[in-house]
Amino acid sequence: MPDTLAVGQVVAAQEYRITRENLVRYAGASGDFNPIHWNDRVAESVGLPGVLAHGMLTMGLASRLLTDWLGDPAAVVEYGVRFSRPVVVPDDDDGVAVHVSATVTDVGDDGLVGVELAVRVEDQKVLTQARAVTRPPKNDTEGVAAPLG
Amino acid sequence: MAIDPSAVGRIYPPQPYEVSREKVREFAEAIGDANAVYVDAEVARKYGHRDVVAPPTFAMIPVMRGFDLLMADLGIEFARVVHVDQRFTYTRPLVVGDRLETTTTLDAIRQVAGSDLLTIVNDVRGADGDQVCIAQATLLIRPEENANA
Repeated sequence: MPDTLAVGQVVAAQEYRITRENLVRYAGASGDFNPIHWNDRVAESVGLPGVLAHGMLTMGLASRLLTDWLGDPAAVVEYGVRFSRPVVVPDDDDGVAVHVSATVTDVGDDGLVGVELAVRVEDQKVLTQARAVTRPPKNDTEGVAAPLG
Repeated sequence: MAIDPSAVGRIYPPQPYEVSREKVREFAEAIGDANAVYVDAEVARKYGHRDVVAPPTFAMIPVMRGFDLLMADLGIEFARVVHVDQRFTYTRPLVVGDRLETTTTLDAIRQVAGSDLLTIVNDVRGADGDQVCIAQATLLIRPEENANA
């Protein structure tokens, strides 16, 4: 990792997958049991193309890119997204691939770093205006463990 | 029927939420974030935290309690709600053992193509009244007659 961060620098990129199992786990963990996130019959009855990932699950997945990069998740000072397009999760073992990349948009005099996330499924942006303000990464700070995964 | 515009400015009673170790672990696993800071207090202390911290989007769980109050008050069924955007701004991280109080304010209502767009601000504070996080959301409320369209 370079010592200084530059505007326009892509600091991380990763593909994540969401399967139906992930939806069930997220429903339980978050308490959001809306059936459009686990029941095909209900999803279709309200005109959806299929069972959808919770927007907050996609937002949470995208945040992994930040927290892996930063080391300390608490270095995320601000994080916001717009849920621009639903993520349909097929009923199979592969699920859907969500591609996330993070680009530095601002390095402030106060040391805070502005980051824009690109979050897409195939060629479609599923989150837009996905932006974070973070403290600089500390993964390699002496005496501080790197993240496990 | 549209949401009563005079509801703008309505403030809902603070909702308690205690951040527990097992819920933080469960939530981190559900989004697949394997950062040790969510589960290992020793690692968290190396980053200067008093105990393990919660992922950046974990604040949605206490925030949902405020949404529930607001929706009950305005007579909005969950099936009509579309989450448009969400932003968290942290003064400090959520730490295990935090006894939070979340106060929800209906900040604005706009009408767009027959739907109501609600801007909701959730002020998440610690037991001493110290500010922890401001969460801002836009929810789109579809008109009742189209709820099952």
